[in-house]
Amino acid sequence: MIETFFGQDALSTPGAFLAALFLGAFFGVALEQAGFGSSRRLAGIFYFRDMTVLKVMFTGLIVAMLGLAYCTGLGWVRADQIFYLPSIYGAQIVGGLIFGVGFALGGWCPGTAAVGLASGKLDALLFLGGAAGGSILFNETFDLVQPLYVLGDRGVQLAWENLGVSQGAFALAFTLVAVGCFWGAEAIERKRTGGGEYLNTPFLKTFSVALVFLAVGLFALSGTGTSGGPAAPPATEVGILAEVESAADHLEPEDLADRLLAGGTDLLVVDVRSAAEYEEFHIRGAIHVLLPDLPAQLEPYKNRGTIVLYSNGMTHPAQARDALARLGFQNVRILTDGLAGFRERCLKPVSLRDDPVPPEEARKINAWRAHFSVSDAAAPGAAAALGQVAVSAAPGASVPRSTGLPGLVETEWLARNLAMKGLRIIDCRSQPSYNGGHVPGSVCMTPEHFRGVVRGISASLLPADILGRHLSLLGLRPEDTVVILPEEKLQDATLIGIALERAGHLNYAILTGGFAKWAKENRPIDTRLPEIVESRYPVNLEADRFSVDAAFVLERVQRGGAIILDVRPADYYSGKKSDEARAGHIPGAINRPFSEDVTKSGDLTVFKPAEDLEKAYAAIVPSKDSTVIVHCRTGHQASQTFFVLRNLLGYKNVLWYGAGWTEWAARPELPVEGPKDTSSSPGS
Amino acid sequence: MNPYLAGVILGLTLLASFLILGAGLGASGGLARMAAYGELCVAPEHTLSSAYFGAWGSDPLRYYLVFMLAGLVLGGLFSALLSGRTSILVERGASSPRSLRIILALAGGVLVGFASRLAQGCTSGQALTGSALLASGSLVFLACVFAGGYAAAWFVRRQWHD
Repeated sequence: MIETFFGQDALSTPGAFLAALFLGAFFGVALEQAGFGSSRRLAGIFYFRDMTVLKVMFTGLIVAMLGLAYCTGLGWVRADQIFYLPSIYGAQIVGGLIFGVGFALGGWCPGTAAVGLASGKLDALLFLGGAAGGSILFNETFDLVQPLYVLGDRGVQLAWENLGVSQGAFALAFTLVAVGCFWGAEAIERKRTGGGEYLNTPFLKTFSVALVFLAVGLFALSGTGTSGGPAAPPATEVGILAEVESAADHLEPEDLADRLLAGGTDLLVVDVRSAAEYEEFHIRGAIHVLLPDLPAQLEPYKNRGTIVLYSNGMTHPAQARDALARLGFQNVRILTDGLAGFRERCLKPVSLRDDPVPPEEARKINAWRAHFSVSDAAAPGAAAALGQVAVSAAPGASVPRSTGLPGLVETEWLARNLAMKGLRIIDCRSQPSYNGGHVPGSVCMTPEHFRGVVRGISASLLPADILGRHLSLLGLRPEDTVVILPEEKLQDATLIGIALERAGHLNYAILTGGFAKWAKENRPIDTRLPEIVESRYPVNLEADRFSVDAAFVLERVQRGGAIILDVRPADYYSGKKSDEARAGHIPGAINRPFSEDVTKSGDLTVFKPAEDLEKAYAAIVPSKDSTVIVHCRTGHQASQTFFVLRNLLGYKNVLWYGAGWTEWAARPELPVEGPKDTSSSPGS
Repeated sequence: MNPYLAGVILGLTLLASFLILGAGLGASGGLARMAAYGELCVAPEHTLSSAYFGAWGSDPLRYYLVFMLAGLVLGGLFSALLSGRTSILVERGASSPRSLRIILALAGGVLVGFASRLAQGCTSGQALTGSALLASGSLVFLACVFAGGYAAAWFVRRQWHD
C-alpha cells in the first residue's frame, strides 16, 4: 500500500519539496519535448493549425486517469491518500472562461510559459510577470471576488458518480472520446496545413487500440466496473463487500461535521467506545451504545435516516457495521478514521496545521471547532473551546476539559482569528501607549480596573458581581474568547485572567509577546476605539473556588495538607527587606519568586518554556493533585504563578491567597517566620 | 518529439505525482506564491493582513508547488538545451508588430494569473490534474478554458500573421 506525502500530512516537508522538484523537472521535459516552449505552437490550437496541445494534453490525461484507476483498483493506493480537487462550479466556470481568453491572448499558460522562459522566450517572461500581477490583483480584490470564489461549492464531485454510471464505463467512454479527438486532430491538420503526419499511420492505430484495451481492462478489476451509481442495498455478502470495497460505507469527518452543524436530523451518530471515554469527550450530539447492544438499541432506526458509527479507529465500527448489515441494516456507515480522524481533520486549529488553509476552509474549521470542541455533557458554554487553541500549553491535553484550561496563543493565531466572531482583545498597556496604536478592536484595560479596597484591604480583586458589571460594560458575552495582551509585566495579564475566572469566564488566553511582538511583526494596528455594545454578563457567583482567606491558610499552616508558595522576591521572603507591618513569611512557606517563571526573548518578556517550568515545579510540588496555595503581597504577582501552575502546567488544586502578605503581616495574631531580630510573632 | 509520446511522459509524470505526493501537478500555485513573496517584500504588513495571501503566512515559498515550478523551469531548460531549442526572442507572426505581441502577452498573463487563483488552478493543476481524477468541476473548467480561448482567438489573430 502506497502512502503519499499528502496522506501522511507531510506535503510541507523537505522530502516532499525534493520530490516536487524532480517531478517538476520531468514535467518540464515533457512539455518542452512536446514543443510547448513555443507560444506560436500553443496558440495554434485556437486556429486549428497545430493541434499538438490537444494531443499531448489528452494523452497525458488519459494515461494518468487509467494509471490511477489501475493503482486504486489493484489496491496499491487508497483514494484517501490523494487530494481530490473540489468542484466549485461558479468559480471554475468563470475562472475557466477568463483563463481561456488569457490563454488565447498570451499564447501561454503558466506551466508552458515556465518552459518558454527556459527556452529564452521573452514573451513568456512578460506573460509570467503579468500572471504574477494577476495573482496580486486577485489578492487585492479578494473581498470583492470572494462570493464568486466559493460560488457553487459542492465539495468533491466525480463525473461518473454525477452521471450515474460506473467508473469503468466512464473511463472507457472518455478514452474513446480522446481517441476520436486524436484522429480528428490529425485530419484537421491534414486538411488545413497538410500536416497530420500521424493520420492513418500504424503508430496511431496501435496507440489508439492500446489505450482502449487498457480502458476495457479496468472492467476486469473487481469493484471498478460494478460499483458505480447510487449503491443498491447489499443483501448479500458480495453486496457488503462491494460496498466496503468502494468505500460507500464510509462517511468523511468533514461531511459529518457539516451535516451535524446544519442541524441534520436524519443522522444518528453512535459512539461505541467505553462509557468513560464517551464521558470524557464525544462528538456533540452522539449517543453512546456498547457494541453488543447495537442491534437492539438501533432497531428503531433500522433503515431510517443514516446511522454513523465511530470509535477511536475504524476496526470495531467496521465489524459492527458488517454485523448490522447481515441483520438487514442498510443505513449504517462508519466514520472515516474514527474520532482520531475527526479531531485531526475537523477540530485541529488552523494555526496548528502544516499546510496553509484557504480562508474559506479556515472559517469552516472555526465553525466546527466552536460547535464540536465541547461535548454536550462537558462544561457549560464554550469554556472548553480555547482549551485546544492553547498552543503552548503542552501538558494540557491530559487535563479534564471541564477546567476550561486557558493558555497562551501566538500572534500568528491572533492575526488569523482577528475577524472571528466573539473574539475580544484586552490590551494591558498604559492608556497613552494604547492611544498611539493598538490591535484593531482591542480595549485598553489595566489590572487596576479590577481592584479596589475590600474589607479594608487595598488592591484587592473586586467581588464577582462588580466584576460582572465591568465585563458587561466591555460587551463581553459568556461564549466570547478573550485574548489578553501583556506588556512587560505578565502578572498584569494574569491578574485580569484571574478576574475573568472569578466571574466565571474561563475562555481566555494570553498572547505571547503581547502588543510589542504584534507591532514588531508589522501586523495591523489601529488608533480607533472599538465599537462596543453593552452586554449583560451573567456572572457565575460560584465560579471562584480558588480564592482563600487568611483563616484557611492558617488552618493549613497548623494542620498541614498544602504547599504554600510565597512568590515574592527572595529578600522580602527572608525578611531582609520589608514594606509591610512585619517582615518575613508565613511559617512553612516555600519561596519561588514569580520572576523565575519568565524570561527575556529579545526585549520581550515571555513565559519560560513549558518543559523548564514543568521541571522546576516538579522539584517543589510532589504531584499535580497536591494542594498549592500561592500568595505574594496583594495577589498580583501570585496570579502569575497561579496561571503557570494551573493553566500552563495543569496542576489541579491551586489556590490563590489574594490578600497575601499585606494582610498577614498586619494581623499580629498570625504567625510569622522571619529574621530573628524582627520576629514578633506570637506563635513562635 | 512525437506528441503522443510526450503526452505519455506527461501522463506518467502526473501519475507519479499522484502516487508520491498524493497531489497532481501544478504551475500557477508556485507562481502565485512567488507573487505573494514579492508583495510581502514590498508591503509586509499589508500582505500579512490581506485575506488571501495573508493565509499563506510570512513564508509563502515553503510550499511544494514552488519547488515544482523551479523543477519545471530546470527540466525545460535541460530539454531545450539538449534539443538546441533555445533562442532569446519575442515570438510573434512575422508581419505583426512586436509591441502588439508584448501587450497581448502581458494582458493574457494578468487574466490567466487572476483566473487561476479564482479557479484554484491552471491548465496543469485544474484542467489536467482534476480531469485525470474525473472531478466534475475540473472537467467543466477544461471545457470553459477552450470555450473562452476559441471565443477570443479570432480577435487577437493578427499577432500570429506572417
